[in-house]
Amino acid sequence: MVDFLYGEYILNDMERTPATPPLFTTRSGIALKPSYGPEDVPSAHREVMGGRPGEAPYHRGCFPQGYRTKPWRIFQLSGFGKPEDENERIKFLLKNGETGFLMEHDRNTADHLYNVDHPEVVARREDVGMTGAVMQSVRDVAICLDGLPIENTYGHAGGAVVQHAPFALAAYWTVAKRRGIALQNLGGTGQSDFFLTYLGCVTKQQIPTAPGLRLNADIIEFCGEHLPKWVPVSIAGYNGGDTGLNAWQELGAVMANAIEYLDEIQRRGRMDLTSAAYRCGGVNFRTTMEIFEDAAKLRAARKMWHHLLSTRYGITDERALRMRIHIVTSGAAMTYQQPFNNIVRGTLMALSAVLGGTQSLGVSGYDEAISIPSEHAHQMSVRIQQVLAHETNLHAVADPLGGSYYIEAMTAELEQRGWEFCEQIQQHAGFLATLDSGWLHQRARENQVGWFQQEMDGTRPVVGVTAFKDDVGTFEVEGFEGVNDAYEVAQERLAAVRRERHERAATDALKTLAATCRNQDNIMPAMMAALDAEVTLGEIGAVYREAWGDWQTPEVV
Amino acid sequence: MNSALTEVTPPAHAPRILLVKTALDGHWRGISVVARALRDGGFHVILGGMITGAEIVRAAIDEDVDLVGLNIGGHVGVAERCIAELRAARPELPIFCGGVIAPWAVKRLKALEVEVYPPGSTLEDIVGAARRLTQTTTAV
Repeated sequence: MVDFLYGEYILNDMERTPATPPLFTTRSGIALKPSYGPEDVPSAHREVMGGRPGEAPYHRGCFPQGYRTKPWRIFQLSGFGKPEDENERIKFLLKNGETGFLMEHDRNTADHLYNVDHPEVVARREDVGMTGAVMQSVRDVAICLDGLPIENTYGHAGGAVVQHAPFALAAYWTVAKRRGIALQNLGGTGQSDFFLTYLGCVTKQQIPTAPGLRLNADIIEFCGEHLPKWVPVSIAGYNGGDTGLNAWQELGAVMANAIEYLDEIQRRGRMDLTSAAYRCGGVNFRTTMEIFEDAAKLRAARKMWHHLLSTRYGITDERALRMRIHIVTSGAAMTYQQPFNNIVRGTLMALSAVLGGTQSLGVSGYDEAISIPSEHAHQMSVRIQQVLAHETNLHAVADPLGGSYYIEAMTAELEQRGWEFCEQIQQHAGFLATLDSGWLHQRARENQVGWFQQEMDGTRPVVGVTAFKDDVGTFEVEGFEGVNDAYEVAQERLAAVRRERHERAATDALKTLAATCRNQDNIMPAMMAALDAEVTLGEIGAVYREAWGDWQTPEVV
Repeated sequence: MNSALTEVTPPAHAPRILLVKTALDGHWRGISVVARALRDGGFHVILGGMITGAEIVRAAIDEDVDLVGLNIGGHVGVAERCIAELRAARPELPIFCGGVIAPWAVKRLKALEVEVYPPGSTLEDIVGAARRLTQTTTAV
């Protein structure tokens, strides 16, 4: 039997008889009805449906005027090659209308805390600079930031990986101090994300989760004291989502992660919890091609954040109760085949983010499945956001989906399932324990296989890949090649730092850092002093490994 | 994932495949889906994690594998050196590659007569290639 729900053309194109009817469920398994009515919205959620944007519990958005008073920040990941290459790309993006910038550090060196002369890096020297600029000392970070107006531009200092964050932040702050910028006036963000570090992109060698949590708590406390405008850490459900967690798993795991941070701050007892909660409230999610489910996910996320903080921690401060959201559109949704289709995908996923009320947005490049973004792909990601911001009136009305039975029912459903998943994590001894044991990896794993099978068997067609594969275009995206001298230049610069620094001062600062790792003091003052004395990235890594050893990666197959 | 030499359900006399990541980039979604498909396809999969060319050669010999799969998450130049080292040590051992490999890099690998499975390849393609590539070395 042939079922023509997709139309005949697609069936022919897919060269198969359809065994499976199309799925009317989201990728997170929520069944979709042909239409929705008032009876689909649970009564508890119906009670808050009439609230306005800017009113608790904030599912309708944090601000009464929405984007009229607070346009979303155009915020793209960027970086490759030498620090000056990254500097040039950031300037290009800012010139094109980006309204903040994100520094990427080379994964080989930064994420592992290796200098470029580490044997693991030497063995992969061609890779160096392919995923971000190599920055081994404050000198390198100063080159990357040269001429950038960091005193009034919101910057992401890098440090996405937990063990790298204290270095990345301290280096950025040291450059700012040397320029005469007072740290209390400096705005920007770190990341130190557990989802990336221990779930999504597990490095070869990294510190265990317990000292990782200590570092994040140190950063939160340090910012509370010295950098009130800085977002110290940013929980990135994105990295769980693109690894395989579905929408409600992403929500639940983000809440479980926040519980780890805030419980730790509470246990240490050195910082006002409201202040800490406010500083943990800049959260990163992803949007995918499930554009309505994901818009609802952002609404559910704000409502859950309000609930978590007010019930578990008794927080009443409105500023802290408002979750601010950064969205990166799903890289995994981008295809290698017919890459220009990805411009459409990027637009739709960005639309989802804006409909959900995001505060900042990065759109993955149309060449995402091929390479790091070319200049053109990067420009297109900015242009997509500008078209949405300036040509559509999307910014004129806050929470335009509010009151839709479908969206409100979806918001309530995701919230409920999100709390159930959060509770499961708590029953498995908490977020860090589920990373250590591989329990969370197993949840991602199940979805990875299921989603891939659904795409490959045609249940969820992917245009240009499993359906509509004819391509009359002559375009071929070859992929960005980066530069070929990042490794050599990094070697020279490392040698210069070693040759020119005050060796005694560097050695002393490193000893103080090592001692701090072993005691209860906040690590950031020692890190700032170490970087000021030109201690290098790899030396810091060696100190950490000596103090804490390595995380045992769970085995997941 | 990246723990060293994890064995995946070994059926008796199954052809042995070493899957490794050539880059220090731990994204594991792709390799994990491929590993499971190969296991379900009757292969004995050995996950080598993120290891260097010299370590790949040693693992290929120690584990007496019939095929090596390189997951390329970084620059193709690293994979090219791994291929050269493998061929110097075990010239008869077939190699195939997958991962986020740009079209220009695919051309370079194909010039080395290595089969390449970039994103969009089906699991049937990959498992089929593994069967074909292991036929000569495991034929009874």
